[in-house]
Amino acid sequence: MPKEMEVEENGLHVENFGSLHIYSEEEHDDEQDPQVENEEDDEVEEQEPVTLGFVEKPKSPNSLLRHFFPSKAGGVPAWLDPVDLPSERSRACGICGEPLQFLLQVYAPISEKESTFHRTLFVFMCPSMACLLQDQHEQWKRQPEKPSRSVKVFRCQLCRSNPFYSSEPPRFDGTDKPSKVGAELCCWCGTWKGDKVCSSCKSARYCSEKHQIMHWRSGHKVDCQRISCQSLVSSSSNSTTSSMKILGKVAGNTLWTEFEIVSEDECVFDTEASEDNNYSTSLVCNDQMDETVNSLLESFEGSDDKKSWASFQERISKAPEQVLRYCRDSKAKPLWPMSSGRPSESDIPKCNYCHGPMHYEFQILPQLLYYFGVKNDADSLDWATIVAYTCAASCEASTGYKEEFAWVQLSSSLV
Amino acid sequence: MAERGGERGGFGRGFGRGGRGGRGDRGRGGRGGGRRGGGRRDEEEKWVPVTKLGRLVKEGKIRSLEQIYLHSLPVKEHQIIETLLPSLKDEVMKIMPVQKQTRAGQRTRFKAFVVVGDGNGHVGLGVKCSKEVATAIRGAIILAKLSVIPVRRGYWGNKIGKPHTVPCKVTGKCGSVTVRMVPAPRGAGIVAARVPKKVLQFAGIEDVFTSSRGSTKTLGNFVKATFDCLLKTYGFLTPDFWRETRFTKSPFQEYTDLLAKPTKVLIAEDTSKLDD
Repeated sequence: MPKEMEVEENGLHVENFGSLHIYSEEEHDDEQDPQVENEEDDEVEEQEPVTLGFVEKPKSPNSLLRHFFPSKAGGVPAWLDPVDLPSERSRACGICGEPLQFLLQVYAPISEKESTFHRTLFVFMCPSMACLLQDQHEQWKRQPEKPSRSVKVFRCQLCRSNPFYSSEPPRFDGTDKPSKVGAELCCWCGTWKGDKVCSSCKSARYCSEKHQIMHWRSGHKVDCQRISCQSLVSSSSNSTTSSMKILGKVAGNTLWTEFEIVSEDECVFDTEASEDNNYSTSLVCNDQMDETVNSLLESFEGSDDKKSWASFQERISKAPEQVLRYCRDSKAKPLWPMSSGRPSESDIPKCNYCHGPMHYEFQILPQLLYYFGVKNDADSLDWATIVAYTCAASCEASTGYKEEFAWVQLSSSLV
Repeated sequence: MAERGGERGGFGRGFGRGGRGGRGDRGRGGRGGGRRGGGRRDEEEKWVPVTKLGRLVKEGKIRSLEQIYLHSLPVKEHQIIETLLPSLKDEVMKIMPVQKQTRAGQRTRFKAFVVVGDGNGHVGLGVKCSKEVATAIRGAIILAKLSVIPVRRGYWGNKIGKPHTVPCKVTGKCGSVTVRMVPAPRGAGIVAARVPKKVLQFAGIEDVFTSSRGSTKTLGNFVKATFDCLLKTYGFLTPDFWRETRFTKSPFQEYTDLLAKPTKVLIAEDTSKLDD
């Protein structure tokens, strides 16, 4: 019995290979004769300098607090403006209603304007893949009445002289003190403003009912009584809980691993082509190359999606650990992994506040999911890229955290 | 708006950690250089997967390429194939310069034709065009790895030892060229023209008789026809496949926490659910 012939797995059967085929998707490169080819620039040379972001373990738990103006991923956000936090409606996923989870923040000041001396962009998303799939429909809607997204980008900016931080840069020598305590944060997620208080102990704060329920179930039921008795005796419990929050200890355990984002220019990684070029011998000699060889060449080069994926891979391979690509140039274009699912000019809305145009600022790459250790089940989070478009003028508005536009491209299951 | 050049458009300025220069040495130093100085870096070590399948392979949850073939999952990262088939060899079949006429003369680019295989049942073919030969070759190797297909081998007569030839007479066609492969006894060797012989060697077929028809001068169709032929080896229904398929769960499903499911009765899931 030729059992060795069959592949090692059980149940490997013929029918499953019906879908395997050599890709004969035609691409529009027809050649008149072998030596001359049509214009086809498959490598869009991006001249604008791009800054890459890499994740690293933070030096110490205190090194990512907000008075250091960090760029970080995972954990809790280091709010730039600690008082005027996003409202109840903007902090929830537009689809399932759960409060959004912190993905990353980028400290990206602009030095031309005084009002943007400090400027941070925060990205939040709902950790549920079902919401992300639904969000795809939402992002394609143009000028919806009330946008209900599951991925949100917030921008916050401050002048050099502001009530929260000193006008001098932090000294990083251990003497920097945290600025005065900001608004109370939810003790389950540590992310959003805790404006609701536990009615029995009056010290635990929550951003939403859902988090209150989660905290109650996972231990607050026991602690609540104890805290409420303690607070009757002394009023010091409040300060202990708030000092705990400063250190970033939260009750919830679903937050993504905390990292610091360090930046590096992409041009640093350009490698020299050092391979030798003496591949003169070949099996197929020149005069035998004709249209059919070229058609073979085309069919093995692949379809549009494959080509954009290949250029994406090539660009990424200069620095495979990158998680963020930042380029605020007005001519900059994001690096798209897929050719499908790209927004056109009209898909990008105008700024909500000043109605000026929005430009690409940065994009998040899926390597971040690997670093976060996100599970790889059928329904776990996965995206090809998240691109953030921000107001080109970085306008001032009355709210502390202005909403910007995020575009998510999911990886298609087709090649 | 931010322009390039002396523009402060990056992050890390303002009150950032001392700007880009200061960041550079501290930030990337701990990662073994960060610069690819000299020589090839060890790609597998530094591979950070971008797709979900890549993450599963890196973790080690998927151990063989056949699992991927079984569920027809698209492979987008060549490092997946490299991890699963570490003994993959590649060979450049041809570098062809192609030219484009411009006002200032001719612009030459190079098209590289690469075939990869492990000599044990897997082959792939890739083509890439680029301004430099090295880039074209590198790109073609990557594309070849992404197009690896399995090849079925069988016996000519007595089923002793390892399979060495095609399991049955198969034929592949492309354009006007038809290639027919016929099982051969051991020691016959690959009886084929130069180009398909190379492909068959990479596939791991030791003995085969071939017969071709049509304009085999058109090498493109010739190679494509042999590829098509190899593809069909697993498409041929032989009596050993008569038994009913017992479906297994797709790798994306295998590791779902079954306990998280509500109290519905667990029905045996079939493999038609694919990650989307």
